[in-house]
Amino acid sequence: MSATGSTPASVIEESLPQEGWPAAGEDVPPGIGPYRLAWRRLRRNKVALAFGGLFLVIVILCLLAPVYAKHVAHTGPNTENVDTALNQFGVPLGPTWHAKYFLGADNVGRDVAVRLLYGGRNSLEIGFEATLITIVLATLLGVLSGYFRGPLDGFISRAFEVIWPYPVYLLGIVLGVVLEISGLDLGLFKIGGSSLLITALVIGVIYTPYVGKAIRGQVLGLREREFIDAARQQGLGNMRIMYEEVLPNVASTIIVFIPLVLANAILTEAGLSFLGAGVRPPNPSWGTMISEGINLLPSAIHTMLVPGIMLVLCVLGINVFGDGVRDALDPRAKIRIDH
Amino acid sequence: MQKLTRPIMASALALAVVIALAACGSSNSSSTSSSAAASSSKTTSSSTTSNGTTATVVIGTFPQSLDPSIDFTTQGGEVHWLTYLGPYSFAHASGTAGTQIIPSVATTMPTVSDGGKTYAFTIRKGLTYSNGAPVKASDLTFGIERALKLGWSAASFLTSTIQGAAAYSKGTAKTVSGITTNDATGQTTIHLVSPYGAFLDILAVPGVSYMPAATTPMKPEPNSPPVGFGPYVIKNVQNNVGYDLALNPSYAKQAIPGIPAGHLNIHFSIQSNTTTEASMVLNNQADVFDWGDTIPPSLIQQVSGLSDRFKAVQTNKTFYWFLNVTEKPFSSQLAREAVMIATDRPALARLGSGALVPGCYLLPPQMTGHPTGPCPYGIDPNSTPDVAKAKQLVQQSGMAGQAVTVWAENRQPRLEWAENYAATLNAIGFKATLKTIADADYFSTIETLKNHPQTGFADWQQDFPNPTDFYQNLVDGNAIVPIGNSNYEEVNDPHIQSVLKSLYPVPASQIATVASQWQALDTYVSQKAYVVPYGYLSSPEFVSNKINFGAIVFSPLEGNDFSSLQFK
Repeated sequence: MSATGSTPASVIEESLPQEGWPAAGEDVPPGIGPYRLAWRRLRRNKVALAFGGLFLVIVILCLLAPVYAKHVAHTGPNTENVDTALNQFGVPLGPTWHAKYFLGADNVGRDVAVRLLYGGRNSLEIGFEATLITIVLATLLGVLSGYFRGPLDGFISRAFEVIWPYPVYLLGIVLGVVLEISGLDLGLFKIGGSSLLITALVIGVIYTPYVGKAIRGQVLGLREREFIDAARQQGLGNMRIMYEEVLPNVASTIIVFIPLVLANAILTEAGLSFLGAGVRPPNPSWGTMISEGINLLPSAIHTMLVPGIMLVLCVLGINVFGDGVRDALDPRAKIRIDH
Repeated sequence: MQKLTRPIMASALALAVVIALAACGSSNSSSTSSSAAASSSKTTSSSTTSNGTTATVVIGTFPQSLDPSIDFTTQGGEVHWLTYLGPYSFAHASGTAGTQIIPSVATTMPTVSDGGKTYAFTIRKGLTYSNGAPVKASDLTFGIERALKLGWSAASFLTSTIQGAAAYSKGTAKTVSGITTNDATGQTTIHLVSPYGAFLDILAVPGVSYMPAATTPMKPEPNSPPVGFGPYVIKNVQNNVGYDLALNPSYAKQAIPGIPAGHLNIHFSIQSNTTTEASMVLNNQADVFDWGDTIPPSLIQQVSGLSDRFKAVQTNKTFYWFLNVTEKPFSSQLAREAVMIATDRPALARLGSGALVPGCYLLPPQMTGHPTGPCPYGIDPNSTPDVAKAKQLVQQSGMAGQAVTVWAENRQPRLEWAENYAATLNAIGFKATLKTIADADYFSTIETLKNHPQTGFADWQQDFPNPTDFYQNLVDGNAIVPIGNSNYEEVNDPHIQSVLKSLYPVPASQIATVASQWQALDTYVSQKAYVVPYGYLSSPEFVSNKINFGAIVFSPLEGNDFSSLQFK
């Protein structure tokens, strides 16, 4: 604090959310738990809810892709209609705003609207799977390394540091191309090279260090707290302490990371697919659709623009909602400049 | 992890930028394409625009190798025929005149004796390589031995014809015994295993060339190609980025009649996105479009209206699907017939920007031996296929439900063609999936025999005007080799072998006398559906407005003759 008694202009480093402590001046009914408190705050954040709703609408639309394809467009995502949807020079139809080719056709005469929804399914599926993989792996490794420290922490931290410095896309391309050729044989189960799970696995592993390091840092602080000591004094084993004491205290951190990782996973999938290292043709994803559409930019801009806008809206929805979740769980955890 | 700023404003701004860039139709030459990272699409930073002495050529794929002892691609051939002259060359002329053979390092056409088994010629005196070393007769022996040692992709042209070449290739001989030379007199004599009518064409193919035996290493030199003799020298090779053809200062005073010195230096720039490639030439940021590529659908209408800069040239180039006959389902004749019938040739023509002429025979229309009769099985290449009949055949074959991997080159429109083909295979009852390979690696991958590609994209541009060129490489059982294999179907049909044995010795000058036999063979191959030809592509002669279009020589074999390029 400065001599005048006010906090000087400075960037206050973002801290990880605590346990939903009320903000200064916030009127909190007695006995309300931190998650219910967070939910109250989130409900008051209309913007976050609106964008969360936008994302939900996109998810629902994508889930309804088979219904749209069968009952509205009457075509599949990979059905080509070269003779009817392309002119003699191969230029595709633009948006008709009717049931068939509502958003136009693509470079091989497929319905863009149908592929958009099916592509969304693939992109979202990979996004959710990758997020799950990241969160599970990061939580497991972060908690173990932060709690036990010593050689285990050393090993896990070094593993994070090996992955961390690589540019995400470079690593993703290398892993994606290698695993696409050979698939993944883990003994108990085998994943074919063309499976979406390969892409999800690659993205999930790449983002694990980002979340794992944050969780590890938090656990390092938690393990020195009195309630952990008390649990040890009571004779609880390490596994039980981690499960009953440590994990609940990092839960809010994990919850905040979920939308952030999801947004990044969807964007990364789009990028890898764009570069040919993610979803493989003819399967649709927003990234492959943008890649195919780039070649038609001068004459059929809709083929690139439509999936691009969808991607932006989806990621925007998750990001704004994720901001709201973070603010709700810990309103004091902000990046701000105080004057 | 990305930091969050004001997400709404940031995202809106990002979206606005994307829309603005898209609307402006940016043709930024550093844009990436859909190729996998193995194939770079960067351009060199030095010159994507031409200056007064250098023209820029944009090509879609880096050559297989800039070492002529390895490469056998159109991208390599158009460079090597100007940098590594052999005893003979194809005339630097457009149209049919461009298929004529002229003496190059040799003084005159060869003396053929011993029933067509001996070729003798003398090389010109006083010729020097670009480094000043004298060109010697024995350098041809060295050049051929180097091609055999390094696994030249067309080595079967040599091993099946020249005495001792096969033994040398296998490592059981120290030299190719069938070639004798006298450096003092320049006399060269080549003895063949048996008469081979197209041997003079082989001697004119880029790759059969002179190299200084004393200084050229017997190992691949793709980044620093060996010294050669020709109007140009290769310089500044940056793998997958670009290279230069610089005028050979010593060539002009010893220029071979019919093989002129060039006017401009040439800079080659790789741009694997064909839309960007065409846009660069359209906007005069580059001077010449790769004749091996297709003008994309989005620009073909605009480009084809520029008659002072664009012409579609019919070259003898066949596009086809290969069907590997050694494994299911294409070990079945009925399954192959089904694919032949179901292939949607009009659709493939549309996907090829309308530049593909639908067809069903391996030999292209302007090649001697192209059948004049209708396609087999009642196929009309200009009509929608009979998918129901094809489905029935698949059921009869017992191969319904078989998994099929379609190998595809990750390049427009070849990827679109392959997607359509995979959809066709699924429609007739197979379970087809695409396996896309970066364009720079595609052919070397499918040419590796141990990969046993099941089916996929292939094409063949004529190297010389003789059906032998197509058959010896693509369907001759003797052409099946572990590396550099172009008989992707792995077909070894006794009838084909027997007919080829009788047709190979026919001299090129008498090819018309056996045209009907070639036609019958080509019809047979279509009926057997070892390959499924779907069309013949015209090649684009497309330049910037700085180039003197009327002065360009467009060889039917090597494409744009860069030595003829001149600025207006």
